[in-house]
Amino acid sequence: MLFVVLVKQVPDTTEVEVDEETGTIIREGVPSVLNAFDEFALNEAIDLKERMDEDVEIIAVSMGPPQAKDALKKCLAIGADSAILLTDRVFAGADTWATAVTLGRAVKKIGDVDVVFAGQEASDGNTAQVGPEVAAQLGISQLTFVADIEKVDKESGHIICKKETDEGHVRIKAELPAVIACMPEPGFEPKIPNVRDIMKAKKKSLDEWTFEDLGGDEEEYGLDGSESVVIRTYSPPPKGEGIKIEEKPEIAAEKIIEFMEEEGLL
Amino acid sequence: MARTKLSDDRDLTEEQKLFKESINDWAERNFPLERVIRINREGHPFPQDIVEGLAELGLIMVTVPEEQGGMGLTWSDQIVIAEQLGYIDPSIATAAGFMAVETGWGFTINRYANEEIRERYIKPAIQGDKFVGIATTEPKGGSDVAGFESTGEKDGDEWVLNGEKTFISGVEECRRMGGGYWVNVRTGPKIPEAPHKNMTAFFVPIDTDGVQPQEPYDDAGRGSLSTSGFIMEDVRIPDEYMLGEEGKGFYYTMEGVDNARILIGASSVGVTRRILEEAADYIKERETFGRPLAKYEGIQFPFVERYIELEASDLMVKKVAKMQDQRYDEEGWLERTGKAKTYKPTEIAKWISMIKYKVPHLAKDTADDAMHWLGAAGYSSEYIFETAWRGVMSYCVGAEGGANIQKLVIARETLGKDYIPYK
Ligand SMILES: Cc1cc2nc3c(=O)[nH]c(=O)nc-3n(C[C@H](O)[C@H](O)[C@H](O)COP(=O)(O)OP(=O)(O)OC[C@H]3O[C@@H](n4cnc5c(N)ncnc54)[C@H](O)[C@@H]3O)c2cc1C
Ligand SMILES: Cc1cc2nc3c(=O)[nH]c(=O)nc-3n(C[C@H](O)[C@H](O)[C@H](O)COP(=O)(O)OP(=O)(O)OC[C@H]3O[C@@H](n4cnc5c(N)ncnc54)[C@H](O)[C@@H]3O)c2cc1C
Repeated sequence: MLFVVLVKQVPDTTEVEVDEETGTIIREGVPSVLNAFDEFALNEAIDLKERMDEDVEIIAVSMGPPQAKDALKKCLAIGADSAILLTDRVFAGADTWATAVTLGRAVKKIGDVDVVFAGQEASDGNTAQVGPEVAAQLGISQLTFVADIEKVDKESGHIICKKETDEGHVRIKAELPAVIACMPEPGFEPKIPNVRDIMKAKKKSLDEWTFEDLGGDEEEYGLDGSESVVIRTYSPPPKGEGIKIEEKPEIAAEKIIEFMEEEGLL
Repeated sequence: MARTKLSDDRDLTEEQKLFKESINDWAERNFPLERVIRINREGHPFPQDIVEGLAELGLIMVTVPEEQGGMGLTWSDQIVIAEQLGYIDPSIATAAGFMAVETGWGFTINRYANEEIRERYIKPAIQGDKFVGIATTEPKGGSDVAGFESTGEKDGDEWVLNGEKTFISGVEECRRMGGGYWVNVRTGPKIPEAPHKNMTAFFVPIDTDGVQPQEPYDDAGRGSLSTSGFIMEDVRIPDEYMLGEEGKGFYYTMEGVDNARILIGASSVGVTRRILEEAADYIKERETFGRPLAKYEGIQFPFVERYIELEASDLMVKKVAKMQDQRYDEEGWLERTGKAKTYKPTEIAKWISMIKYKVPHLAKDTADDAMHWLGAAGYSSEYIFETAWRGVMSYCVGAEGGANIQKLVIARETLGKDYIPYK
């Protein structure tokens, strides 16, 4: 069986700084890490591999600049069997759709993939669109908010997952192949690679694929292939201080109405 | 406020970056600063779960060749690990016990040990199941390594060892886990003009009959790791437990000291970096007279001076690690290729003494400064500074050679042999 895990390298900070002019994230000098949800997705893939009787191969795939190799190296150390970096000037400036086009093409080229693992969302872009868009690209099942994978049964052609919802959990069965967007439950602790794992990773293959490898038209990729246009990027102004009314409910309700009238909100 | 980060890893290899990341992730989960501080107050022996964690991460004796159970890593890789252990445990106990002693000396023991010692002690120590250490210091032989009095007499295919070793790291841990020590004894007459001659090294399992561990010292710092000693009374050790060749113990000891001192330099870089980061977080937040402490030059200038010294030390340690890599790469080179080695061992020893002197002192002085910057908070064990100060002081007063001994080596190599003060 073949699993592909889509991983993104993100800045190691909760305070992303954005270049006001270009609207892109300032990456210089900011250390990068593997997106936490993608690390979870990879851990799930490895966990599943260890539980299954048949042979499973795990390939980590990332689109990004050459530095994104660091994130893939980490995936190899954690336990991916090989990795592919999609890197080319043509891919640069991609929005979520163009990102999904690139990733989808790569999955197609790898061929015969049973499950594509993605994170639910990336901690920098936060759109949660890429996973589902890749599924749309490939025309296969998609499951989101996956917290656990019960089993993947190639014979019956199904995957069964535990999916988080606002009310709790649901068990979901979907047809293979499938894209699953994973999100850990609180308290999840990823596997920490040891020195041996890290040195073993050095011997695993880490390929680079460019536009030439994926084919198609240049216009489908990167900035040209992006349907959306960034007009302006800004941080929302901080919320002003609220008011707090500590009264019996009836009085509080009256005061709120009064306040809203004063502010012209009604 | 985002936490202050003063490390820049872009000059490291991808693997080295991952070593650091794994150590940090593991420490965050299992060995946060609060625990470092607590176990230093609670005292030894060192917690077994941490030893097992270090072993699981594969950090012990990484320079031992792969076919002998190690990872065959270079000294340049090894210093990254040592630095990070100083960073996560600035009391220095972890790095002292498991880098300087187990790895620096363990690697050297492994070089001169036979298969049996490797199988029974070195490999299990790499797995965190045994402890190996070094016991050279004696009541009459500290700085003056050759001033030791322990003896070894041959009796058939055994040796009978007698004497006393003092201020030995890890004796309690070794008793708990099993293991043993590199022990130097005199196996021939003492030659007054060459007292280092006839020094022979043995590997002595701690549970051998006649080895009598003494009460641990109540040390100022690194409280989670024991320092103690043992008396040897007619301790019988088989011939095969001799390390290397008879009478060569002094040279092996100098090699072991070099290896341990490199790791002390590296881990002290980590200690200093952590102290500066922790102190920066505090001085940026704490306000006096309406402004954060970090705004006052009286605080930020000394901070900057320590930071410059830190980065200079880091570069020195990296240089020394490269020299040591070259030393081992070029081993036997003269015989094989007829080419001279790049460095003489004494030149490398000079550089090693430079970092062994400079970096622990920098760590100690930085901790001292940080306590001043924080005021009463810095004096309290709630913060890491006093724990770090008491810990790194061990390397200033003596562990792996006192400060003046490093200066003697550096003076000998710069001014020349004619100026050795004790000759
Ligand atoms: C300032 C700013 C402006 C942006 N403007 C736009 C815009 O106008 N329109 C728009 O559509 N997008 C925009 N983006 C999104 C940007 O293009 C995305 O970073 C990128 O396309 C991936 O989307 P995401 O980060 O939201 O990933 P998500 O959709 O949140 O990621 C989900 C999962 O998809 C996978 N994944 C995502 N990216 C990659 C990758 N490069 N390689 C491998 N796997 C990956 C990972 O498994 C990840 O966990 C903007 C981002 C920023 C920060
Ligand atoms: C915490 C700790 C752990 C240790 N662990 C071990 C261990 O595991 N194994 C082991 O074998 N030993 C260990 N030691 C002992 C260490 O090796 C000795 O402390 C060191 O060799 C110095 O010897 P000494 O303490 O007897 O000091 P002394 O030799 O008595 O020296 C005292 C002081 O005088 C200075 N001095 C000495 N000679 C001269 C000179 N000619 N000129 C100027 N100054 C001089 C020294 O620098 C020192 O400051 C440990 C020590 C400590 C503190």
